[in-house]
Amino acid sequence: MDAVQISNVTKTFGEVTAVDDLTLTIPEGAVYGFIGPNGSGKTTTMRMTAGIFYPDRGDVRVFGKQLLGARSELIGYLPEERGLYRKMAVLPMLEFYGELRSGRKVTAEVEYWLAKLDLKKWASQKVQTLSKGMSQKVQFIAVVVPAPKLLILDEPFTGLDPVSTDALREAILELRRRGATVILSTHDMQVAEDMCDYICMIFRGKKVLDGTLSSIQDRYGNDTIRVAADGGTACLEDLPDVEKVRDLGQVQELRMARGCDPQRVLRALVERTRITSFSITKPSLHDIFVRIAGPEAGQAEAQHA
Amino acid sequence: MHRILLIARRDYLATIRTRAFIFGLVVAPILFGGGFLGVALMQSRPDIKERRIAIIDRTGVVAAAVVQVAEEKNAKGLFDKASHRQVRPRYVFETPAPAADAQLQRLELSERVRHEKLYAFIEINPTSLQPSWRPARDTDTNADPASSAVAIYSNASGLDDVRRWLDDSINDGIRRVRLAQAGVDRGRFDALLSGVKVGSFGLVSRDPKTGEIHEAAKKNEVAEFAVPFGLMLLLGMIVMVGSSPMLSAVTEDKANRLVEMLLGLATPVELMAGKVLGALGVSLTSSAFYIIGGTLALEGMGMSGLVPFGVFPWFYIYLIADVTFLCSLAAALGAGCNSPQEAQQLAIVLLSPVMIPYFLFTFVMQQPNGAISTALSLFPPFTPMLMLLRQTMPSGVPLWQPWVGLIGVLAFTAVMVWAAARIFRVAILMQGKTPKAADLVRWAVRG
Repeated sequence: MDAVQISNVTKTFGEVTAVDDLTLTIPEGAVYGFIGPNGSGKTTTMRMTAGIFYPDRGDVRVFGKQLLGARSELIGYLPEERGLYRKMAVLPMLEFYGELRSGRKVTAEVEYWLAKLDLKKWASQKVQTLSKGMSQKVQFIAVVVPAPKLLILDEPFTGLDPVSTDALREAILELRRRGATVILSTHDMQVAEDMCDYICMIFRGKKVLDGTLSSIQDRYGNDTIRVAADGGTACLEDLPDVEKVRDLGQVQELRMARGCDPQRVLRALVERTRITSFSITKPSLHDIFVRIAGPEAGQAEAQHA
Repeated sequence: MHRILLIARRDYLATIRTRAFIFGLVVAPILFGGGFLGVALMQSRPDIKERRIAIIDRTGVVAAAVVQVAEEKNAKGLFDKASHRQVRPRYVFETPAPAADAQLQRLELSERVRHEKLYAFIEINPTSLQPSWRPARDTDTNADPASSAVAIYSNASGLDDVRRWLDDSINDGIRRVRLAQAGVDRGRFDALLSGVKVGSFGLVSRDPKTGEIHEAAKKNEVAEFAVPFGLMLLLGMIVMVGSSPMLSAVTEDKANRLVEMLLGLATPVELMAGKVLGALGVSLTSSAFYIIGGTLALEGMGMSGLVPFGVFPWFYIYLIADVTFLCSLAAALGAGCNSPQEAQQLAIVLLSPVMIPYFLFTFVMQQPNGAISTALSLFPPFTPMLMLLRQTMPSGVPLWQPWVGLIGVLAFTAVMVWAAARIFRVAILMQGKTPKAADLVRWAVRG
């Protein structure tokens, strides 16, 4: 069974259409990532999936059921912002959240997650004494106790240091191993590439990409050259059949024009400078994102208009 | 329902465990009752500084009589009989001869008043001795002081009791002169016009069981005022203390993005209902503290007869309805605000159903069963306060009125809670834009 089915959903706020005729399916047990620029409609889509917003049109089903006017203990929703009672101690607050979702005492589960995320010694401390990273982990526990079948995480890694990021990633993957379906949004393309089975890009309320990473990359083909050359980007200007050069520091990424022969580019490069590395690859998710939502896309759209 | 109770329990415990709640429990009655206590205290510490009054007497005979009356009043009322402590200021008089240039004399005396050498000065004109066949009216005073029968010049406030004290002394003095001029014996006249003490009693009643007739009890006028007013004051205070924090609490939860987390766990209606129920619990706790404490205190003072036990069920019904209605309204308004500062500006709107009856209570107590008092107490937002006031008064209310009032209050509360829940549901997740009144109405109607 699909965990989530969103069919022709539209949601407007006044004059603004946040989500425009969106249709997608999230298979059970998958990690499904939403990417897209700020204000593109990711959070609204997740809120509708969690039943916080109702769609103006269309249908949202979670495990085959509509959630209109009800909350399901099957869903754990982590908003982007920290939403914790600052004056409560960590343990009773997590017990409150857990009981609110499940209707039963959840002390054992809360203690398990506090230990797992290295927060046990903070259990009796007030939330307001925690750091931002610790607060995020506490909020994560509030969402996963007691083991929802669908986790909706809105930018879960924002503001976390690498250690906390790893701890949270490990926790998410553990839940996935236990059978949970995970929906997350992120601005970190590496996270999306590494963690997500499926990636959906929403842009201006519409779905512009949906599928596995490789299927998305396949749409663009092997149109990218990664090259490390002496002299850096200065040697890469005005190469034949190269549409765009992106400087990544130690390496540069060249986007080839459709039908371009990479050998021709290599010959031109060798004539100019010494090449230490040259590979032909599919575009990265970051590059695909920028192609769709970057200023370049805006210019192309304006020219087209 | 379980979620509602959980939210209510959390909010309830979070409130009553704070030092602010315990502090407020003690301080709120002091603040509310403090005004009355303060007045009583100030009255027990009157300003007893000597007051010098100049009298320009153009009749040549009245000033002496006025001074004589004033001296008698000084002698009689200057000291408290029990404590022998001076409780009134002594009035001292000087009687400058009327000058040829009356205007200049008034100016000179006015300057002395301005420099606090005098408290006031009085000008008595010959017309004051002309007897009148009708009682004096306020409109008799001429706008031009020089042409008034008697004029008092001062820069004191219009509310001080000097004017009344002098009025009485001057009129007594003038009457004495008039009586003397008419050849009437003042002692006999005073005896003939002396008043009698009017006793005030309740109604005679018959014991329904024994048939025995019970004599009317002497009225305790202070208690008859204090008990209804005190109970209304208590209701208003508990309602205010219970409901006003909801406005800022919801706004803070919204500003801290707590609601989005909670809305992942409970529906907006469950969230609002839980919060309202929690606030209701806090109000009931406060009321129990005050009602039990007040009853025990009155019993301790041997005044248990003053406790209006029969009205307590109504008190609690009104309390529950008022707190539910106001907390729901506060939650809806708070949900529409983006900061506690914005919410603060709406507090006056929220508290008007409690504040307005406070302004109306004197009128209602004077005419408890008048048409306007009845209508006001049947107006649902005011019913809890004003109907309770009328029910607690000795005159009581017709049996049907509290029930009709209650139906109105319950219907009004139900509609307000329903509308507030619809507003809350839409407004709670809005950020950055403060809704207008029209938006609130639209959300309440359309959901």
